[in-house]
Amino acid sequence: MIPFVDDVDTKPFFDAARDHRLVVQRCGSCAQIAHLPLGLCPHCGSGDLSWETVRPAGVLHTWTVVVRQVHQDYPTPYTIVLVDHIDHPSVRFIGHIAGERSLAPGQLMRAEFIDRGGVVMPNWCVDTSTRSDSGEDPPS
Amino acid sequence: MGIGSTDFSKASGRSVLTLATSAARAAISDAGLQIDDVDAVIRCENDIVGHNDIAHALGLRELSYWGSTPGGGAAPSGMIGQAVAAVTAGLATTVLVYRSLNGRSGERYGQGAGHEARAIGGFGSYDEFFMPYGLLTPGQVWALIFRRHMIEFGSTTESLREIALTCRRRANANPRAQLGHKLMTAEDYDNEPIISDPLRKFDFCLETDGASAVIVTSAERARDGAQPMCTITATAQSASHGMQPAVMFPVLMRGSLVEQPSAGVADLLYRRAGIGPDGIDVAQFYDCFTPTVLMQLEDYGFCTKGEGSDFAMSGALELGGSIPINTAGGNLSEGYIHGMSHIVEGVRQIRGSSTSQVDGAKTCLVTSGLPVVSSALILSGSA
Repeated sequence: MIPFVDDVDTKPFFDAARDHRLVVQRCGSCAQIAHLPLGLCPHCGSGDLSWETVRPAGVLHTWTVVVRQVHQDYPTPYTIVLVDHIDHPSVRFIGHIAGERSLAPGQLMRAEFIDRGGVVMPNWCVDTSTRSDSGEDPPS
Repeated sequence: MGIGSTDFSKASGRSVLTLATSAARAAISDAGLQIDDVDAVIRCENDIVGHNDIAHALGLRELSYWGSTPGGGAAPSGMIGQAVAAVTAGLATTVLVYRSLNGRSGERYGQGAGHEARAIGGFGSYDEFFMPYGLLTPGQVWALIFRRHMIEFGSTTESLREIALTCRRRANANPRAQLGHKLMTAEDYDNEPIISDPLRKFDFCLETDGASAVIVTSAERARDGAQPMCTITATAQSASHGMQPAVMFPVLMRGSLVEQPSAGVADLLYRRAGIGPDGIDVAQFYDCFTPTVLMQLEDYGFCTKGEGSDFAMSGALELGGSIPINTAGGNLSEGYIHGMSHIVEGVRQIRGSSTSQVDGAKTCLVTSGLPVVSSALILSGSA
């Protein structure tokens, strides 16, 4: 299953992913972050939304290990992770980890870019480069 | 109010239209009305049976008001609210409200979408941010939400098991329930495999072929009806606590996953009804997955936020407890009619005709689905 990348509101996210950049929208008028992407700022109504590159880093918010398979493209077990962006906790991303592994809330995660059927998308995996503060709540 | 349901099964062998028609005829008859007394229809937007489809199948000569309510399982209480509004505004006198589906032999919601699609998402669905990662079903969403509840509050799967067992015990007294004949022990629950951890098979609701229907009319008309009066004290819908778009997956972007729009529904509903949780005798909680019950116990004020697990383990949910729940077995064990059968059972409690009757029940809380938006209503005996 590959993402549809030609939606007028969300296409720039995947265009950036092709260049291995993780981006979110920021409003040029009120300076707030908008995610999920849209055409007008939900905070102030401005159409002056631009795409800002953010660090490929986050902390683990929650996860589930899927055991019962429902789709041929996704053999089980696999783990779905929900990640808070490290600099913008209101921005969350989904990631897919094959199999299951020991995870803890608040642990550091990093984005990598994967190719699925010719479409590049960010994915999130455990950041093994830095020792995490596992067990602690992520910033709220 | 009149109520009617078909049998609940895994393979009805009937069309969704036939199921809807049977439930509607049963509800009209139950109310002591004639088919032609129905002048309005409110349906769930997800129902494949349209307003004119059911009118034609019932042989109605005229329909003068209709509407639909979006939101799948979140719709039914809102549908009743829409019917009440139509009657109150003078747009209708007698409203048929129904939900019909072949949820097991036809389209199975739990299987996830996208099996045919080559590229998923776009067009405002935002599915492109979720489904390509293998996040495909409502059960996986609830697993993510409940794990967060566990992280923040130390909630337990034992309390989910207690909710599943409670619903099954009520189903065991209900001959209409899909799993009414099957007893369940704690060991049975534990022995079933994990589906999406921490949720096991019996944390998931049934898939059901069936239909339920409700007739809503004015109090004046209902007084002359065939049944004891059941008054719709208040209804409420709410999209709140972190507005999110689309059908389901973007709820995972909500600032706090342990906040649900059912808390917004509760605020509105209690204010409109002029009572609080202390005034509720029995409740039918929407239970597509066991965590929805636990979080609604908190949101509707039966315990404080974060104490749902302890409360569920306290015996409060049992017959004779402070708030008996899902007295027909709920989505988990009676059948999954997308929330409409919860309203039917609520009416039975007010009439005193439930198979797990709460002695002297004068008020019943009925809730509809979550987590995107939600709705609920309060039923009471003759005002």
